[in-house]
Amino acid sequence: MPKSMRYAILEAIQGEMRRDKLLTLLYEYQRPAARWGGRSINLEAEFGRWRARFSAIDENWIVGGALGMSMIGVRAIAHIPSMTTLIPYELMFNHAGKLRHMTGGQAAFPMILWADMQGRASFQAGQHADAGLESCYARLAGLKVVIPSNPYDAKGLMVSAIRDVDPVVFCHYSVPTSGPDVPDEPYTVPIGQTAVRTEGKDITIVGYAPQTVEIAKAVKQLKQRGISAEFIDPRTLAPLEQVMETIIKSVKKTGKLLTSDDGSYSFCNCTEIIARAAEAVPGTKFKRLAFPDAPPPGAPEMINYMRVGAADIVTAAEKMVRG
Amino acid sequence: MNGEVNMNEIKAAPSTSGTDPKAVSRRTFIQSLGAIGVGAIFFSAGADKQARGQSVSTYIDSLSTEQLTAMYTDMLKIRLWETKIKDLALKGGFRGVAHLYVGEEAIAVGVCSALRQDDYIASTHRGHGHLIAKGGDLKLMLAEITHKATGYCKGYGGSLHITDMSLGILGMNGIVGASHLMGAGAAYGIKVKGTDQVVVSFGGDGSIQGSFFTSAANSAATYKLPWISIIENNQFQIWVRCSDVYGIKDLARRADGYGIEGRVVDGNDVLAVYDVAKYAVEKARAGRGPTVIECKTYRWYDHYGFQGSKIGRDGAFGLGYRSDQELREWMAKDPIPRFRRFLVNEKVLTEERADEVVQEVKQTVDDAAAFAEAQPVPKAVDGLLNVFAEGAVPLHKS
Ligand SMILES: Cc1ncc(C[n+]2csc(CCOP(=O)(O)OP(=O)(O)O)c2C)c(N)n1
Ligand SMILES: [Mg+2]
Repeated sequence: MPKSMRYAILEAIQGEMRRDKLLTLLYEYQRPAARWGGRSINLEAEFGRWRARFSAIDENWIVGGALGMSMIGVRAIAHIPSMTTLIPYELMFNHAGKLRHMTGGQAAFPMILWADMQGRASFQAGQHADAGLESCYARLAGLKVVIPSNPYDAKGLMVSAIRDVDPVVFCHYSVPTSGPDVPDEPYTVPIGQTAVRTEGKDITIVGYAPQTVEIAKAVKQLKQRGISAEFIDPRTLAPLEQVMETIIKSVKKTGKLLTSDDGSYSFCNCTEIIARAAEAVPGTKFKRLAFPDAPPPGAPEMINYMRVGAADIVTAAEKMVRG
Repeated sequence: MNGEVNMNEIKAAPSTSGTDPKAVSRRTFIQSLGAIGVGAIFFSAGADKQARGQSVSTYIDSLSTEQLTAMYTDMLKIRLWETKIKDLALKGGFRGVAHLYVGEEAIAVGVCSALRQDDYIASTHRGHGHLIAKGGDLKLMLAEITHKATGYCKGYGGSLHITDMSLGILGMNGIVGASHLMGAGAAYGIKVKGTDQVVVSFGGDGSIQGSFFTSAANSAATYKLPWISIIENNQFQIWVRCSDVYGIKDLARRADGYGIEGRVVDGNDVLAVYDVAKYAVEKARAGRGPTVIECKTYRWYDHYGFQGSKIGRDGAFGLGYRSDQELREWMAKDPIPRFRRFLVNEKVLTEERADEVVQEVKQTVDDAAAFAEAQPVPKAVDGLLNVFAEGAVPLHKS
């Protein structure tokens, strides 16, 4: 059994906490402990409570505390639960993202906002099944945003995020385990480096996190129908320049860009990707699949109808390719 | 001075013992319960030391036999209805999730019994009990928890968002602490409207740390809003023990800093809760401002879901963060048999009548389950409705 995403992330943090004797994790109730095979990680047991500290239900402390610590050179990871993604928004917006610039380069926030993210699950409803809020962070100046879709990328991106001198928002959706095995030792997946999951020539499909599962299914079905799709997982959402190089190269080849997003249609992160591709490659055909601009209802009948699934991607891709 | 406790106010609270011949005996009985904590300890800005630790027990005497029986019935409704959910869920194929309130029934019932129908409550993720005590319909609640088209929220919201505006229920809420702010805002609205309604915000021990509570409490104190904040201290925030994340033991002390009167009460004693809640409600209605009431209690099940529990057995055992022994100690303080003993001793109910009430509530719960089971599921396209007052939002798939 491959390592889970959670285990991979904790392994990344463990390795970096061993290397950087100040690196500290603040969290609420998501224990920094996991098992895999016969092994286990427990950051509190290994590094003590000062460096792995749970708190009251207080996301502003977790994120604000991490900001203050990191400002004096104590690298910090702020882990917040999935229904609180936007509670520390102000701190990230007006402090983490701005102060380097406003202080003429003096202030630095080497911190990570490790944000658990929600998917579009049934029976959760409203406040517990929203998705796509990564685009809220990606639109803020001064923040880097990464979004892994498998355990290998999660570990590599977490190591990169920790070593980065700028604030990084690490968007952690839970995605069924896939992809390469996760090495035990530290390694990096550079921020800004995309992954071309499948090469193809007829159409470019872009999506990340839980949508990668739907896209991967769709790509297989399209292949059976004679359509060769190129599937790109951006992995980084901000800054987007380097990511767009890969996407633009692909779109120049295929002439068609289909994006698939669990976020709401308006302002989902793929909207920005389409806009940039449109500027760069005139004449491209586009289609944006996303959740409607509605809160997520709890009943499976409703939410499953609204969420983008593999069948929707196949239909949209076929229409784009066959005219 | 704003928020300062007024001892005369407490002492002068209406004593209606003359209206009910049972009152004196009830009071005697209640006083004999002193060891299990009837009455409230209060904290308040400026209260002198002597005041701390003193208890009040003024309003219980005025409860009629009907009211007392209704309180017993409501506690049973919460207990048996949630136990039904647990059993149905463990059987498998249950279309929903739940944060069970079992063990904490005395708080919801004690507080809501002190309210009028046109008063408001703002509830939490663990709010089924609050809603039932405020008059929520068991059938519509169960239909909602199973996301049926005819549930309280037509299947959109599920357990975490059950709302009944017609009963003054401003909704359960999945975001910790928000209930305090919604409630305080509603209390401000009452001031603008000029009515004598009051608002109760329920919240867990975890709900007072985020900034929502601060915003609510400071405004409630400053504007003397008709707001009562009930802190249900069940000692855990998921698995995190309160004592590991707070620098104080009695959370009601937080009220001091805002200039609000704070009380601590045994949350497993429905009469004690009623007593202090009634005091706070009367005070708020009379325009004398907010109260924060901390109710000490314990939840019998896991934070969420049904881990450690079994069909036909009460309580969740073997959870890593608490000992079974601790749970058993709290189960021994079960608020329901405790209240029943009181009712029987006071001759409010006979044992036979009390048993009948249990059977009646069981039947009501079974009826609710049968109703929910038979209800239709929502139509897929209806997910696009109710985003705005009018029309549907586009699906954008084609
Ligand atoms: C703002 C916010 N932070 C975190 C959570 C996740 N969460 C849901 S319930 C809960 C614990 C609540 O504890 P408490 O307030 O004591 O209520 P209890 O569950 O004990 O009734 C947490 C942390 C949330 N829903 N909202
Ligand atoms: Mg609690």
